[in-house]
Amino acid sequence: MEIKQDGKESSLILTKQGAEARVFESKFVGRRSIVKERFSKKYRHPSLDSKLTLKRLNAEARCMTKARRIGVYTPVLYAVDPVLNTLTFEYVEGSSIKDIFLDFGLHGVIEERMHDIATQIGDAIGKLHDGGLIHGDLTTSNMLVRGGTNQLVLIDFGLSFTSTLPEDKAVDLYVLERALLSMHSSCGNVMEQILAAYRKSSKQWSATLNKLAQGATLTSYIFVIVLSFLCCPFLIV
Amino acid sequence: MSRRVFCLFFSGSSSSKKIFARNQVPNKLLSCRELLDLMQAGTLEPEVAFLNASLIPDVFPLLAAAHKTLISKSRESLTTRTLHSELVYNYSGSKHISESLKRCGILDNSHDILVARFGASTDEMMAVEKLIKGKEIDLDELEERANQTQIQKHYKISNVELGISSIADAIVCRIAARDAL
Repeated sequence: MEIKQDGKESSLILTKQGAEARVFESKFVGRRSIVKERFSKKYRHPSLDSKLTLKRLNAEARCMTKARRIGVYTPVLYAVDPVLNTLTFEYVEGSSIKDIFLDFGLHGVIEERMHDIATQIGDAIGKLHDGGLIHGDLTTSNMLVRGGTNQLVLIDFGLSFTSTLPEDKAVDLYVLERALLSMHSSCGNVMEQILAAYRKSSKQWSATLNKLAQGATLTSYIFVIVLSFLCCPFLIV
Repeated sequence: MSRRVFCLFFSGSSSSKKIFARNQVPNKLLSCRELLDLMQAGTLEPEVAFLNASLIPDVFPLLAAAHKTLISKSRESLTTRTLHSELVYNYSGSKHISESLKRCGILDNSHDILVARFGASTDEMMAVEKLIKGKEIDLDELEERANQTQIQKHYKISNVELGISSIADAIVCRIAARDAL
């Protein structure tokens, strides 16, 4: 009986390369799958590097499965390989919210579809937060819409952690707000629709949104202070 | 007591799947208890895995467990004593070996049994078939025979999760994430 040492069944096709990981398309016992490989960082001490990589790999697997337990769509986790530092999960057919919104920006917004997507996003984040899970990297490219059913699927739990603090939840929403502003400003006020759905979905919305409002004013203050510091030398000169 | 047996042989790259239904236990057949003892001692010939089929709603979770088993085997890092007991242990999604073998393996009163073997040669398949002496039934029966309440209890699958996931996918996630917990 032949067993392949590398644990790879079929060829891997590189689809994306990030700062932390490489993403491949592959097959897992007959099903189309995605393999995410965390590679080692040569600038880190080897023992620290292997510890960090393994910790993050396991954390991602835990958070993804936890999200499913609290009723948020994420890809099915097929396998975790702590030796190769890979996660294998279900291939989700469909397009990313980023592409859909960019398309809206080019060809005009389809209000009905936009509303459906925004509601699903707010609802999913509300569920995550009530379950004590912070996504950590809520950008439109980490959200997919399954073709056919139009079901929102959250991906990339690489920066996820568990927390019940309103501050952490607010930061999660703030990241999304910034991402929407910088990428999809031509799509109108999506964030408003998302937050409306979030309020309906999360029982603890009030504390979180208070923090979000506080944070927004606080960051603008910091921004002004930093700007004035930056400008100072020039003024002096 | 009527007893049904499902068989799953992994041979080469493609696994041939056969299911047998058996209404009577032939005399020369061992009882579940004896089979279990042999399996735990690692002296069953040919070595096979016996699984509680009422916990298996689909082949896919079992294939995921088999995949995991083969990878551990290739790295010589099996947790249990044999390749086939490792399959049962991996399928359970739990870290307690004896508890896994009890729950996902077979007991004296097991009704539906799934027999699985890695790299089964034609002779070995015949040997297992002889041991079983049954009539072949379709693999789709697995889903009907599965006991959803028992599965949900064993894998701690809430109704909330079942709202967004099939029961088979929920099991796969638990099998995959076990060592990450």
